Amino acid sequence: MILEAKDLNYYYQDGEQRRYILKDTSISFEKGKFYAILGQSGSGKTTLLSLLSALDSPKSGTVLFNDKDIKKIGYENYRRNNIGIIFQSYNLIPTFTAVENVLVSMSITENEIPEDAKTVAYNLLDYIGIVKSKADRHVNKLSGGEQQRVAIARALATNVDVILADEPTGNLDEEIEQEIIDIFKKLAHEHGKCVVVVTHSNEIAEQSDQAFHLKKGVLTPYE
Amino acid sequence: MNFIKRGFLGITRKKGKSLILLAVIFILGNLISGAISIQQATSNVENNIKEKLGATATLEMDWLEYEKLSMEEQENFIFEEIGVDLIEEVGGISYVKYYDYNMSTWLGSESIQSYQGEGVDEEIIHYGPSMDFQLKGINYAPVLDFEEGKGSLADGRVFTQDEVNNGSSVAIISKKLAERNNLHVGDTFTLDNVVYDYDYETGEEEIADSRDVVLEIIGVFESLLLNEDLGENNDQGMMDWLDIDYQNTIYVPNKVVSAENFFQIEYYMKDDPEYAEMVEEEGTNFDYYEPIFVLNSHEDIEAFEQEANPLLPQLYHVVSTGDHYDNIAGPVESMSTLSRYVLFAAIFATVLITGLVVLLFLRDRKHELGIYLSLGEQRGKVIGQILIEVIVVAFVGITLSLFSGNFLASQVSDTLIEADSQPGYDDMGYYYGGSIYSDLTTDDVIASYEVTLDANYVLIFYGVGLATILISTLIPLVYIVRLNPKKILM
Ligand SMILES: Nc1ncnc2c1ncn2[C@@H]1O[C@H](COP(=O)(O)OP(=O)(O)O)[C@@H](O)[C@H]1O
Ligand SMILES: [Mg+2]
Repeated sequence: MILEAKDLNYYYQDGEQRRYILKDTSISFEKGKFYAILGQSGSGKTTLLSLLSALDSPKSGTVLFNDKDIKKIGYENYRRNNIGIIFQSYNLIPTFTAVENVLVSMSITENEIPEDAKTVAYNLLDYIGIVKSKADRHVNKLSGGEQQRVAIARALATNVDVILADEPTGNLDEEIEQEIIDIFKKLAHEHGKCVVVVTHSNEIAEQSDQAFHLKKGVLTPYE
Repeated sequence: MNFIKRGFLGITRKKGKSLILLAVIFILGNLISGAISIQQATSNVENNIKEKLGATATLEMDWLEYEKLSMEEQENFIFEEIGVDLIEEVGGISYVKYYDYNMSTWLGSESIQSYQGEGVDEEIIHYGPSMDFQLKGINYAPVLDFEEGKGSLADGRVFTQDEVNNGSSVAIISKKLAERNNLHVGDTFTLDNVVYDYDYETGEEEIADSRDVVLEIIGVFESLLLNEDLGENNDQGMMDWLDIDYQNTIYVPNKVVSAENFFQIEYYMKDDPEYAEMVEEEGTNFDYYEPIFVLNSHEDIEAFEQEANPLLPQLYHVVSTGDHYDNIAGPVESMSTLSRYVLFAAIFATVLITGLVVLLFLRDRKHELGIYLSLGEQRGKVIGQILIEVIVVAFVGITLSLFSGNFLASQVSDTLIEADSQPGYDDMGYYYGGSIYSDLTTDDVIASYEVTLDANYVLIFYGVGLATILISTLIPLVYIVRLNPKKILM
């Protein structure tokens, strides 16, 4: 198991009461597989992903990366070297070009990066579907689908094994959604990545290797 | 694309914001650099003038304090003399380079003629007793006036300590006086100590007693008063008059003066038994000395005063060249104070305004900062990136205002000085403490005031400017430290 969540609890204090978003949630992921976690809006998908990606800490429970508590690894350290995060709203730096955005994550990670980082970044973007002419464009001059591809390239560029995505196709139309799903499949099956996507899209759940349903703070296998 | 490169890209990719920040820092930087320029200029003037004034001090009765006493207190006030013991105690303070105490008297002569300036051939005709020669008693054998450059030995030698201690009848006279009377080292000359008596019936003074004062010339000195750099605004006539006075000064050991004074007192005591009785009773010390202390440096004046003042009798105080500086430096000092306030206000405004501007810009960029954090960038490096962006822009702004603020300061201060200079000690030399003379005036102070662009100023301004900007980034940095990437991005 490359990534494992154990007995995660997360709640908001509502006066005297605790409103649980996640209740004793446990789940585990392995490399080479494409996972989907399906849930309605407000079901706690983003909460779960923020705990898996160390952008927040659970009230109780642990997240293990290669059997090591990510608290021990250090949250920043873990984000920098072990995972790539993809957001619904892309979150690229608007004053930078596509390739510069990819170079940012490459300069932050401590993982080994090839000498000519720039060529690697161009190649990666090309592989994901961003040709050189678009790679040199400021990202706010790219379409939503193109921006999300840049975000995926940024996540991959640090040579991590785990990709965590929060509704990556939430803002995209169906045709583009399918292209993104194809990329995720390829990453899992051809490159051995562990891809975890939280979504409310049945389409993604259908095409994933393994899917879960999140409801009332409890995870159940998806049909 | 590390944080340093991102910092520079942050400047060039958002030119509008960089220019706004640059403008803010430039404008405020002008205030700071102007104020520092003026501060520097005033402190240069202070050093300059104080250097010229030297560091001499004397002890004097504080008549202003005396005036403040009530009538009753004034009547009962016992005037204490400054005795040799006290002078020596003050002279022992570590800041004193050397010191002397002088007793003077004026005597006339039948046999030698006083120097009356160049081109004055006619005999000056005196009605009544002439007292042309100032006998200046000294205790410091090498003669303090020579060491301090008022005069210099041209021929012969200075006193020996034995001559001073024994009150030997030896003298050092000026070259001009020697030439006029064809006197040389080794010659003797005679002065007359004459006691006059006042006849109450006729209302006339008549000679009651007299004796010859025969002095051997051991040295000849030259006056350096006219050699001094007088500046542009000094009154030549005044200096000539002072010089003539000095040419007729005869240096002798204090005891010589004391003995001649006593000769007069003795006569009055014989003549007037009541007076004699009073002298016996009160044991009045007729040796009135004027002390003069030369300090190691003008920077020691304040410390010297603090150590010396507690030793003095009631209502006495130290009067020094520093006091003279305070008298003549009014316009420059008030500008120094003003510029200090401007400096503090400008620093405060810069911290506040730059801080708020940077904070505003950061709020606009919180997404970008959140992205760096989500990618696992250390907060320290995110802060580093922002510091680079601000400091680089600030450095440019500060460099620009370095010159313009300095230029503005020289324009503004000229106007300020003119508005503030009031007539005071303007065109006169100034005697204080009886024995310290200075011909430096407010005009000299103003003339030596100059706003310059020297290394010192540049260093201080960069230091103060960059420190101010660093402080102003503190509030924005707290903002970065508190950023929560989850809230921003998810
Ligand atoms: N700051 C907050 N205070 C209280 N409740 C919150 C807060 N943030 C989110 N929630 C609640 O937590 C629940 C889960 O939110 P989230 O994980 O964002 O759901 P999802 O991503 O599945 O839409 C939602 O019902 C939301 O209303
Ligand atoms: Mg969500």
